[in-house]
Amino acid sequence: MAIDRRHLGYTLPTFDVTVEPERLAEFAAAIGADAGSGLAPPTFMKAIEGEHGSSRAILEALNVDLRRVLHAEQQFDYLVPIVAGERLSVSRSVTDLYEKKNGVMEFIVIESVISKQDGSIAGRSRQVVLVRHPVTATAA
Amino acid sequence: MKADLAAALPNAVVAEFITEVMTHESLQRYAKASGDLNPLHLDPAFARQAGFDDVIVHGMLGMAALGRLLTEHFPASTIRTFNARFGAIIPVNRALHCRALLDQRGDTLLTLTLEARIAGTDTIAVSGNASIALGASD
Repeated sequence: MAIDRRHLGYTLPTFDVTVEPERLAEFAAAIGADAGSGLAPPTFMKAIEGEHGSSRAILEALNVDLRRVLHAEQQFDYLVPIVAGERLSVSRSVTDLYEKKNGVMEFIVIESVISKQDGSIAGRSRQVVLVRHPVTATAA
Repeated sequence: MKADLAAALPNAVVAEFITEVMTHESLQRYAKASGDLNPLHLDPAFARQAGFDDVIVHGMLGMAALGRLLTEHFPASTIRTFNARFGAIIPVNRALHCRALLDQRGDTLLTLTLEARIAGTDTIAVSGNASIALGASD
């Protein structure tokens, strides 16, 4: 089932995340990185933006079957380093919906902005989610 | 280890490493640490329903391996952009061979081409690029 285009622009309520030092260390250990620096590893923004099950919440709002979903692309822009202990605000929106191969492949673009408490932007994330639709069987 | 950039020509491999094998336990640990609890990475039955033989590795764990390659050579605070495309699924119980190739070295910015192959194969699972600010610490 194709994604309803009225979901373009869907925006989650902004939420806050505290970068607990233990969480940062756990993430670094899980990716095999050295946790010593206190700076967030470059892909930690994905964990921040995904807090409170927010990625699943977006897919559910768009009525997407999780079994059909793959991560296709990911982009990060870094403006101010994220450090252990700070509190961040996350806003996430669906900024594009498009299809390829006559709708067999649909793509959802989710953009996130991660801000510091003073309002400055720490970083941006842009994720492209691929939804693999079954090829509709023709009548035998 | 510092990437040897001074003499490197475009497309030269400036850094590489092979990750540990990504097991079911690795995926469970990453799921918990990242909050990405998609059962595609945790539940073999669900993964089979989705058309795979077993659970598949989080694309972001593959991208994180490329991130490690970056931060082992450059301070995290100097990374300006980091992009990835997930071109092939990474089956569980495989390692990734990660490489960074020099793209361009300007006065203030270094750009790298990144790739993660499934170790022992020609399959590029994650391809991407990164830009690094060259500053006082360089």
